[in-house]
Amino acid sequence: MSLGLLLPAGLAALFALLLPLALHLTRRTEQTPTIFAALRWLRIRQRPRQKIRFEEWPLLALRLLLLTALALLLAEPVLYGAPGSARWVVVETGIDRAEARAAVAAPHAEWRWLASGYPTLERDPPAGMVPLASLLRELDAALPDDAPLTVVVPARLDGLDGERVVLRRQVEWRVIESGESQPPVAPPGPAVLAVRHARPDDPALRYLRATAVAWRTAAAGPDERRVRVEVAPAGAPVEPDMHWLVWLVPGALPPGVRAWIEAGGIALLDAATEPPVPDPGAALWRNARGEVLVTGRALGNGRVMQLTRELAPAALPEVLDPDFPVRLRVLFDPPPQPDGAFASTQAPRSGGLELSPVPRPLHPWLALLVAILFVIERWLATSRARERPA
Amino acid sequence: MTEGVPEFVPAAVRARLRELRLLARRPSGSPGFGAHPSRSRGAGLEFSQYRAYQQGDDPRQVDWKLHARSDRYFVRESERDSPLEAWLLVDTSASMAQGDAARPGWSRLDAARGIAACVIELALRQGDRFGLVTIGGDGVTMVPAAGGPRQCNRCLLHLHRVQAAGSWPAPDSLRAVGECIGPGALVLVLSDCFDEACVALAGQLSAARREVLTAQILTTEERDFPFRGGYRFTDPETGDELLGDGVSARADFLERFAAARRTLATRLAGQGIRHVEYFLDQPLDAPLQRLFGRASGEAGPDRT
Repeated sequence: MSLGLLLPAGLAALFALLLPLALHLTRRTEQTPTIFAALRWLRIRQRPRQKIRFEEWPLLALRLLLLTALALLLAEPVLYGAPGSARWVVVETGIDRAEARAAVAAPHAEWRWLASGYPTLERDPPAGMVPLASLLRELDAALPDDAPLTVVVPARLDGLDGERVVLRRQVEWRVIESGESQPPVAPPGPAVLAVRHARPDDPALRYLRATAVAWRTAAAGPDERRVRVEVAPAGAPVEPDMHWLVWLVPGALPPGVRAWIEAGGIALLDAATEPPVPDPGAALWRNARGEVLVTGRALGNGRVMQLTRELAPAALPEVLDPDFPVRLRVLFDPPPQPDGAFASTQAPRSGGLELSPVPRPLHPWLALLVAILFVIERWLATSRARERPA
Repeated sequence: MTEGVPEFVPAAVRARLRELRLLARRPSGSPGFGAHPSRSRGAGLEFSQYRAYQQGDDPRQVDWKLHARSDRYFVRESERDSPLEAWLLVDTSASMAQGDAARPGWSRLDAARGIAACVIELALRQGDRFGLVTIGGDGVTMVPAAGGPRQCNRCLLHLHRVQAAGSWPAPDSLRAVGECIGPGALVLVLSDCFDEACVALAGQLSAARREVLTAQILTTEERDFPFRGGYRFTDPETGDELLGDGVSARADFLERFAAARRTLATRLAGQGIRHVEYFLDQPLDAPLQRLFGRASGEAGPDRT
């Protein structure tokens, strides 16, 4: 355990210590006014002694302490290394907590869910959004070096990525064979692609219809999701059970459509449509010359994509390409990445990068100390003023 | 005493006043009958002298037995006791407002009021006439001499009203004091005697056959000089200021001040003035005990 300062220049505030010293010093040299009629027999041999003397020592010491604490607070002190290296047991959110407690005999350990923020096991498991591999790496970096770590995972793991998890420490990797195997994922029902246009003779409609035909004929395998295309004018409502939307209407996005996107819909906007958010997001599709054709970003729970040019062969020759239906399908329905594996094969390896230890900030304690000192100082100063005869 | 006027004399002091008598060293010259020896001669119990008969003397006063022996006319004279005229001369310049830090609200002027009230009490009891003169920044204010309880109230009320301010007035305005106080009167000066003009006035009165007593009222700070640390000393009358350290100035001040007090006492004694010092922490009757008490017997009048 060692103490460090993130901002040593903050110690320059220690110059403020001169302030209370000066205050208590000037009070000393103040003269007590006295009426003295026998002044003519009084001969002053010596000016009042300018000896360095401070009045009210306890108050002065308290004020110095207060200013020192404030300066230290400015310098942002941190503590490297944790005092206790308790054993941590993290449990994957899919596992029953009683089952996990039975599997690992560590009564005094920190029991946490392997989820964002690492909540304690007494709470309900939160809905996991962060991938498991990322959580493991974060936890490894945040824990002290010598803290033993046990990870309880189900037999089948999701949320992995292309890189095998490599951690700094040796991890006790406990796989729980859940009795029930995960049910096979049922293929989703047919998706509904809604197309909303401003005018019925929009040339884009032609290519979209052709795309729909291409998708239908290409959907040979049983896994492939069927798509139903529904073309309607702009005024037609966008139902919540629709999945995808192509919006070919120039101008601002109606609030209903926006709400539909934020509720989880995926929309492709025309180039003439006003973008709902100023930031266009990442480029999702580039042509052979590297020019961006479609940008996309998240909006609420859904996703919004926008064409950068008109959906017509003159502006977008790619509509004539044979792989245009596939490209468009990927935009709406990106193929899943392989992220699942058997947990027994995915035990993290040790020997990861030596990270610089995460310092623990001392702000809250120091701020509390400053507050307490301030209260005592005020109390002492005012009570003394009250005692002093007027 | 009237309502609203505080009791100047504490009960303990009043009890001790019973043993005191206002006594003048010289025989009084006041007309009338009183309790004091007088220069007036006349009919009375105490034989004084024989003198030769003059035309116009009452034949009844001629000592006929002596005439039978010596064949001359002698008139038998006796001493006659006269009342005393007591004057209180109170300094009300600004320096009289000074008090002690150890006892706030008790100034020289308060002490002077108390001593004056004691003297008034004594004079009232003896049936003497008394008057009051206050001299200060407001000039000279007088309560003419008279006797009786009403005069007592007049004097106490005036003492109650007077405030210490300003400095000693010009000598011209003091002429009235000498004119008002008759010869042979007892004059008690209550002052700090820091003003040269005040001491000079006492000397003039004494030279003009008034019996002058001075009570120098001093604070305990002037006696002990208990100042420690830095002080800004201010003269209330001149406004002069001195900045100094109390401890270092103490020995020198005490020495010089004691010398000044000795000089003053010698000077006043040379002018025939009885002088006492009174410090603010002493009881009010202390100066009167020293002036009129038993201890001052050898200094008292020779009453053969």
